[in-house]
Amino acid sequence: MPILLEMKNIHKVYPNGTAANRGVDLTVHEGEIHALVGENGAGKSTLMKILFGLEAPTDGTIEYKGQTVTFDGPRDAIKQGMGMVHQHFMLAPSLTVSENIVLGDEPKKGVFSMFRDRAKEFKEVEHLISTYGLKVNMQAKVESIPVGQKQRVEILKVLYRGAKLIILDEPTAVLTPQETDELFDSIKALVSQGHTIIFITHKLREVMQISNRITVLRAGKSIATLLTQETNQEEISRLMVGRDVLFRVDKIPAEPKDVVLAVRDLGALDDKGTLALKGVSFTIRGGEVLGIAGVEGNGQTELVEVITGLRKATTGEVRYQDKDLLAASVAEIRRMKVGHVPEDRQTAGASLTSSIAENLILDHYRNPDFKWGPFINKKKVKQFAKVMMDTFDVRAQNEETMAGALSGGNLQKVVVARELSKNPLLLIASQPTRGVDIGAIEFIHREIIKRRDGGAAVMVVSAELSEVMALSDRIIVLYDGEIVALLDNTPDLTEQEIGYYMLGIKKQELEATR
Amino acid sequence: MKSSKALFLEVGGILAAVVTALICGFVVILLTSSEPFTAISALLLDPLSSTFNIGTILNKAVPLILTGLALSVVFQSGVFSMGAEGQLYIGAFVGALAAVYLPAMSPWIHFPLVIVCALLGGALFGMIPGVLKAYLNANEIVTTLMLNFVAILTTSYFVNNQLKAASGGGYAKMENISKDILLPKIFPGMAAHAGIIIAVVAVIIVYLLMYKTSIGYELRLVGKNGHFARYGGIATRKVIVVSVMISGALAGLAGIVEVLGIHGTFKENFSASLGFDGIIIALLARNHPVGVLIAALFYAYIQVGAQTMQFGSDMPREVAVIIQVMLVLLVSAQAIFTYIKQRYARSGQKAVK
Amino acid sequence: MVWQTIWGQIVDLSLVAVLLRLMTPILLASLGGLISDIGGVINIGLEGLMLMSAFTSIAVGSSTGNWAVGVLAGVATSVLISYGMGFFSLKMKVDIIITGFAVNIFGSGFTIFLMSKIYGMTGNYSPTGAPRIPVVNIPFIEDIPVLGKLLSGHSLMVWIALLSVAFCMFLIYRTPYGVHLRSVGEAPYAAQSLGIPAKRIQYSALAWSGAFAGLAGAFMSNGLTNMFVKDMTAGTGFLALAVVLLGNRNPIGILLGSLIFGLASALATIVQTVPNSPIPSQFIQMIPYVVTIAALVFFALRNKRRLATMP
Repeated sequence: MPILLEMKNIHKVYPNGTAANRGVDLTVHEGEIHALVGENGAGKSTLMKILFGLEAPTDGTIEYKGQTVTFDGPRDAIKQGMGMVHQHFMLAPSLTVSENIVLGDEPKKGVFSMFRDRAKEFKEVEHLISTYGLKVNMQAKVESIPVGQKQRVEILKVLYRGAKLIILDEPTAVLTPQETDELFDSIKALVSQGHTIIFITHKLREVMQISNRITVLRAGKSIATLLTQETNQEEISRLMVGRDVLFRVDKIPAEPKDVVLAVRDLGALDDKGTLALKGVSFTIRGGEVLGIAGVEGNGQTELVEVITGLRKATTGEVRYQDKDLLAASVAEIRRMKVGHVPEDRQTAGASLTSSIAENLILDHYRNPDFKWGPFINKKKVKQFAKVMMDTFDVRAQNEETMAGALSGGNLQKVVVARELSKNPLLLIASQPTRGVDIGAIEFIHREIIKRRDGGAAVMVVSAELSEVMALSDRIIVLYDGEIVALLDNTPDLTEQEIGYYMLGIKKQELEATR
Repeated sequence: MKSSKALFLEVGGILAAVVTALICGFVVILLTSSEPFTAISALLLDPLSSTFNIGTILNKAVPLILTGLALSVVFQSGVFSMGAEGQLYIGAFVGALAAVYLPAMSPWIHFPLVIVCALLGGALFGMIPGVLKAYLNANEIVTTLMLNFVAILTTSYFVNNQLKAASGGGYAKMENISKDILLPKIFPGMAAHAGIIIAVVAVIIVYLLMYKTSIGYELRLVGKNGHFARYGGIATRKVIVVSVMISGALAGLAGIVEVLGIHGTFKENFSASLGFDGIIIALLARNHPVGVLIAALFYAYIQVGAQTMQFGSDMPREVAVIIQVMLVLLVSAQAIFTYIKQRYARSGQKAVK
Repeated sequence: MVWQTIWGQIVDLSLVAVLLRLMTPILLASLGGLISDIGGVINIGLEGLMLMSAFTSIAVGSSTGNWAVGVLAGVATSVLISYGMGFFSLKMKVDIIITGFAVNIFGSGFTIFLMSKIYGMTGNYSPTGAPRIPVVNIPFIEDIPVLGKLLSGHSLMVWIALLSVAFCMFLIYRTPYGVHLRSVGEAPYAAQSLGIPAKRIQYSALAWSGAFAGLAGAFMSNGLTNMFVKDMTAGTGFLALAVVLLGNRNPIGILLGSLIFGLASALATIVQTVPNSPIPSQFIQMIPYVVTIAALVFFALRNKRRLATMP
């Protein structure tokens, strides 16, 4: 098959210094389904943004149909016959399906082409739908159709504009298994009609099922390009995870004490109303770290939110010492010495337009020790903030500095300082070191282990498998809202093995794990 | 360093906006007046030329300070209420009812009672859009605008019918309030009434409330980052209702002070959009109580200046509207303020390197 | 007594005429509000735009002796100011609500300024012999008993308003522009990703709202009254905002909403003219506002129930 697209030695360094692509080669043949796989942050999205003209590469060349091309924006890419289906749908909900498909490029008629030619619009959309077998009711409003059909609308949109090369960015992330199968049928139909597909995903089962060739990205580099027939899931996952990033935490063996948190048969819905947690049970003892591993979006967020009172559970119970956490409010839970480092420090973890001191006193501003009559004792607050900033090595001018002016690492130290300042018996740390510099990572890891050694029960959720492995004494793996493995973090436990569970390739018998 | 420089830039930007707005006003005067310099001097200098005029400035500033405070409180909690006008009417109305119809008693008891009634009236009326916003997520801009009309029409009905003063001479107003509880002049012979003292006390209380107490902390946190507040266990809905009620109480206070200081009784349509002027004050002051005090005094000065200009030249006082509108727009132009800060940030970085 | 008067007016159909007259400015202004709302730029400055147009229209109309020139001048002024709103909110990033608020202050104050500067009047300006927007008498039909009263003898602007409903239906649903407008208001990123110039569309949406508010204002001074009175719109612009909300954001709903609000105004007018009426006019005037709040609560409850199925 002739080569359709060749991206050579692509580099992308963002102004803030993050290197998202550090030498990526990608060759796509005409008429193939090419899977682009890699962990979160491996550089897949950046690469596709560069291809689609949404970002300019720092270095490297793109050849398309044998010619070197540079795109100033998506319109250039669309003109050249590329189309992108974004992970988050770009649809106007109250417009109909056909209106969305032809949006910006409507068939027109009448004087000065002033009016929509709806007959022609329907005919063309109908034609598209029947040609590619992408069944969808074109007169329905987009807000009223299911997710799988919305995706078809996105694909039809791209086809309407004459795309030959179609990029699908994590298309199955929002689909049910049935919808996924239907999508795969459509993809095959597209290929048989002469289209070429780039399929971005981190679900290996799907890669094996649908692709012809696979390019693996890791830490911004292309590691390998494989023929799907000649490889297997184990090889791909080994290539994906690699051994580049290693967290080293020095720690003594854990000395587990009494059970602090007991979760039984917990179920919860996500924001879209689908079941995200399906009967999860586990316990954490004082003096141990339980790591939650899993590809993001497999129920971790919902699990943490239910335990901390931010989300309602649909089934099950959460017992903390002798209290029922599901019946307690967020405020009550926080007062019970439960510390929570939330996964998104920018929105939930801190108020960026408040000072460091105001961020630190979140649990203390009603405490009589911090009061002077009805007023908050400013001196006391200042003193407290200073101590916290010293202890947790927060580097800022002073405690009146706006939180928004801090670097990621320093802001995260503020969050950690606040959550540890109440000496938690249970500490829940979600992505505790995401986007944080190496020095801060080490510091935060040491603090977490210090709390464990002090007898606190710790739960660490991280998308970084190596982080989970470095910190945890035991690890549970979440896949599709269920616990698929409970593992003791012994020296012979490998990332590959956990990887199999994370990707849904392997599954323990749940009764055995308990 | 960071915060004080940021404050400096912010205040500098606001002052620049004020100057630009004044210049816009001058340009209009230059273009339309046959004696532009007389008009400008009457606008800028005459308000300060007599103790009477200064007193008038203070009197005009009193309700502006109070409504400005009212709106600065809700704005800080992230609620864009436009309902101060209606709350002001209800507060003034309830207060005036207490002033006129309660049985005779010592003014030392009667006066505080009247004030409390006004505060409660405004707060309870403010609670309606607050609850609708917090628990039903009903757009507060629309509800407050609609409730303003409800308040104005309801009070108008009563003073046109059941509560109409027999001695009113055809005017729709209540019976006159006893002199004992009207606000006295600060100094005999000066125009300024004691409302300014109430307003300054309110500034201090609101400042303490917003920046020194738990409720103020919660209120500001809800406005700055609702997610964070919820994560921290703050009952964000209650906080929103409380903030709108505090705001309503302050608006009600503005109303009753205006009644007790200026009008002597509740009159139909007496406010003439004091509640909306409060929005301008709060925007100018960036919701800070001390800023409200300064902004309200400046705004009152311009209003009195407009009057003295109308008196002393061929310009109508509505020229002030140009200045007000430009003020509102320039002070709220995020593009300008972001630009200033970016310029500063860039030059600051260079200086460090 | 009041009931008889109202009944009498219903029977002799003069209520219909009053209703149509009072509905027209509400309808026009809310169509303007609708288009800007659909484009994602809520225009709360309708009141100010109407006042500016009302003044310009009668001033230009009476000095040229031509009502059409007056109306066009009023509309042009209003469109110009709405472009200014676009400049401040889209370019200078002033919150669109604050921009609208500023326009309201401006409209109220600046018309008084102009009135006193040009005509030396402070309260109202009623030029003698100013040309009115003409009344359409339909030959033959005007002689038919019931139909004549229903269809004939209305101001031209009444018909323009009714035609505007159809025009807006067409503009919003049948032209590419309308689809772009809706997509920009609802999913600006999606629209931009397909090369639709979102900002230009929003400027134009404000301009449309200016045009309709301009027609509404011109009718108030040049059709309804033949004079300019300070703050003569008296909340019509805010009523229009409420109608947009009640009308479920489509032109037919807005026509219905305007009819209801027009009816409330018509009844209030009748009640005010009847001495010692048992129904206070204030409460009738209040109906639209209370209905709006009730509708908001209703929508909110419905949304809440829909959300309750999700946690």
